[in-house]
Amino acid sequence: MNIRCARPSDLMNMQHCNLLCLPENYQMKYYFYHGLSWPQLSYVAEDEKGHIVGYVLAKMEEDGEDNRHGHITSLAVKRSHRRLGLAQKLMNQASLAMVECFQAKYVSLHVRKSNRAALNLYTNSLGFKILEIEPKYYADGEDAYSMMRDLSAFAAESKTELPPIENLEIVSESAIISQC
Amino acid sequence: MPPSNPLPPKENALFKRILRCYEHKQYKNGLKFAKQILSNPKFQEHGETLAMKGLTLNCLGRKDEAYEYVRRGLRNDLKSPVCWHVYGLLQRSDKKYDEAIKCYRNALKWEKENIQILRDLSLLQIQMRDLEGYKDTRYQLFMLRPTQRASWIGFAMSYHLLGDYEMANSILDAFRTNQMKGPYDYEHSELLLYQNMVLAESGQYERALQHLHKFSAQILDKLSIKETSGEYYLKLKRFKEAEAVYEDLLKRNPENVMYYEKLIEAKQLTNPDDKVAFFDVYKKEFPRAIAPRRLQLTEALAQPVFEKLVDEYLRHGLHKGIPPLFVDLRSLYKDKSKAESIEKLILQYLENLTKNGTFGPDASETKQPASALLWAYYYAAQHFDYKQETDRALHYIDAAIEHTPTLIELFIVKGRIYKHAGDPVSAYQWLEEAQAMDTADRYVNSKCARYMLRAGHVKRAEEMCAKFTREGVPATENLNEMQCMWFQTEAAASYKRLQQWGEALKKAHEVDRHFSEIMEDQFDFHSYCMRKMTLRSYVGLLRLEDVLRAHPFYFRCARVAIDVYLRLYTSPLQDAPQTQEPDTENLAPSELKKLRNKQRKAKRKAEQESALQAQVQVKREQHHKARQQQEQGDPEAPQLDELVPDKLARAEDPLEQAIKFLLPLRTLAADRIDTHLMAFEIYYRKDKPLLMLQSIKRAFRLDSSHPHLHDCLLRFQRWLDDNLASYNPSVAAVITKEIEPMVRGRSAVQMAEEFIQSAERTQANALWGARALCRLLPARTPAALAQATALDYPDTSIQGCVDVLESLRQGEFGACEKEIEQYIEACRSKFPYAIAFKPAAEQDAAADAPLQPKEIAVNN
Repeated sequence: MNIRCARPSDLMNMQHCNLLCLPENYQMKYYFYHGLSWPQLSYVAEDEKGHIVGYVLAKMEEDGEDNRHGHITSLAVKRSHRRLGLAQKLMNQASLAMVECFQAKYVSLHVRKSNRAALNLYTNSLGFKILEIEPKYYADGEDAYSMMRDLSAFAAESKTELPPIENLEIVSESAIISQC
Repeated sequence: MPPSNPLPPKENALFKRILRCYEHKQYKNGLKFAKQILSNPKFQEHGETLAMKGLTLNCLGRKDEAYEYVRRGLRNDLKSPVCWHVYGLLQRSDKKYDEAIKCYRNALKWEKENIQILRDLSLLQIQMRDLEGYKDTRYQLFMLRPTQRASWIGFAMSYHLLGDYEMANSILDAFRTNQMKGPYDYEHSELLLYQNMVLAESGQYERALQHLHKFSAQILDKLSIKETSGEYYLKLKRFKEAEAVYEDLLKRNPENVMYYEKLIEAKQLTNPDDKVAFFDVYKKEFPRAIAPRRLQLTEALAQPVFEKLVDEYLRHGLHKGIPPLFVDLRSLYKDKSKAESIEKLILQYLENLTKNGTFGPDASETKQPASALLWAYYYAAQHFDYKQETDRALHYIDAAIEHTPTLIELFIVKGRIYKHAGDPVSAYQWLEEAQAMDTADRYVNSKCARYMLRAGHVKRAEEMCAKFTREGVPATENLNEMQCMWFQTEAAASYKRLQQWGEALKKAHEVDRHFSEIMEDQFDFHSYCMRKMTLRSYVGLLRLEDVLRAHPFYFRCARVAIDVYLRLYTSPLQDAPQTQEPDTENLAPSELKKLRNKQRKAKRKAEQESALQAQVQVKREQHHKARQQQEQGDPEAPQLDELVPDKLARAEDPLEQAIKFLLPLRTLAADRIDTHLMAFEIYYRKDKPLLMLQSIKRAFRLDSSHPHLHDCLLRFQRWLDDNLASYNPSVAAVITKEIEPMVRGRSAVQMAEEFIQSAERTQANALWGARALCRLLPARTPAALAQATALDYPDTSIQGCVDVLESLRQGEFGACEKEIEQYIEACRSKFPYAIAFKPAAEQDAAADAPLQPKEIAVNN
């Protein structure tokens, strides 16, 4: 598995991966919008054949100088490639780029209230905190947790050129695994 | 410049208000003001007003009237730049870009320095890749507005795209030094990196490197600095410096495979042992990273070394319970001895885990968690599935399911084993089971739907997908809106297998339309990226769009469409479904009356139904129109014809339709032999000898021994014998000369004989060879049949046998009912799970009676 920054030619395959894995989908133009506005922020995980098995699609929310923060539009890892820690690695790369290129202070995201596996990943592995509940955030009426992660650790690291922190243990991404 | 046909002040003010209304999308008001001008008899034929009225109508979805008014306006005032510009905008909204460019050019004839028109023109030129024209227009814009940033950037980019790197670089340099005055923000950083890209593409790596160093403090994108400078150092063979860069990059991202490869290049390691040792270092440095451990397995060649390493890797994966362990290692199986080592180890683990709960034979080894056995079963199942040992694979997956009946992954693999064994029905049923265990997981849902499509259950697949598509609209509509190409290509193939030609074509056309939409998507980014300064990615986008239809999704849908159109050309569909007229002569009068009554009733019912359908159709069109009008905030939305399966399947010109799908492949998939073989099949049916020749030559260059190519060559030769005399002698001479190196003076029969004797023993070679033999020498049909139906070829596969069976059933070897029976029986004993070789009754039963999840549970 290879983790690298996404290129324009990856965007169609990211869209394909998204349609396979997630209920929230977007047309190609929205992927182009991300890739052409913030080319440094989206990352992919690919297998040896170059097929995309996971991705993070990210953007900047540019509401004011003091509140510069990144936002995760979409994060997916194919079920066939879970438990390799890919989601965490993708997120960390994207977060570092948010800090370096856009001086992001934090990164935010939304997650379905029912998606316990993702919630577990964000809180336990990635240090996200729940900010609030956004009622009926999703098209089907489900509530979302609005979450954020402080990026000052990345800011310190990008200044001192230290290697990225690796102290985060990979925790189960998939609820079913823990049952067996 | 004064308008060519000036209005008096009052009307002129009204005209300006029309323009303003247009810009602010207040179309109704715009029409009111236009009416005020046009209702004055003196100005009822005022060209520019008529044109603007047309443009406004277009935005309200009234396209026909729009064209009428704009053209009338233009006729009344041919020297008006406004009228020409408006006509251009109208054509542009209709995606007729070439026509729009002509209109803009006419407009500029009458007003050379209109910035707005020049800008619009430049956008169309870049969209159409008229790079020379783009350069001229950007030059004019630059001269007219030298203080604007976009003028400089567009000017430089026009040279870059034409490959004039020096000029592009000079413009960017001048812009940076004269125009840019801090702050050194993101846009500035992107501009510098773009300039660096221009330098690198000119091949001047030394200069590019210096440039990068000079400005590195002003560049925010540190990753790009490192990645590109590493690249440059390698190109310049400055290996020590490259080494340092890539070591640094690995600290940042130890999961990037390319960094390891480049570092090996920088360290100039070629010996496998050195590479293995190299990865040892990084395994220690990044103990949590997967990449160095995994890459080491690829590099390790010596069997004992590999075995030791893979032993470690497998134990780690099984101990932790990493489901993708097999998927991760699968590519190692290309090396037979590696696959054998893995098999040996896995069988060992299984034995010891069941006996002592340890991986190794030593019972005092650390005991593994109970799950290790589960994961070992799971691995073994996939391992034997890969080796096509279905029974063993099923044995292990069943053991795994017995161990842990709640693990979804196991059911997915069980389904896959059945799929590979040729039983798509059981395959999807197991996926259905997996899906029911976690209905919130779209991945399992998608996989299940795909398996249903493979099994020919399109409707069921749609219902499955509907669990995740928007409520209130049919799943297919939502999937189409979301440009869900995997579903549509699979559905197209599924419909093709079901011989529902119209439906297959509809899906293929839908995919093709997505590609057109994605080409359109670029349009807005031409100006957007100039503002955002993300020019490197923008160039990446342009280059992607240039080869967009090289994407595998396009290839797949084009192949289905071409196959179907060829088929429809050979056997066109009847105009209407045939009604069988029963034999009325032998009926008693009373029975005849009954029959007539029945027929009348049926006819009435059919009429009612078709009326109802017509109503539904009208409603659907209205809905369609309304939706398009809603979207008319974006007047660009093209009005596409609805794709109607019945119409598509009755295309008047199936070969022309096939060529439309073929053309992009001929340039973008020229390295795939199938492209040229499809091309031959189309041009053969169109009697185009030069294009047949070209297709054969291209295919020959890719794989001169391809069996289908061999057949094309034979048929081409035959065609030449029959037709060449009627061609212009110089054309005939060219063809004869060009074909000679492939034919080498042999007759068709000689070639066919030679092919049978000397071609490699494969199932496909045997089938194609037999076909040709049978065609050329009918007396040898029995021998040909025996060759085609033999099952001892080293590559004999289910699909290969299905192809042979299809060929037999098509009557390519004459009537051979008995042989078909025998062949099916022989295939069945070789591939006992494959549905294709089961008796028809069993096939139907399997297809119609899906296992209920409950029954599956009982089966366990």
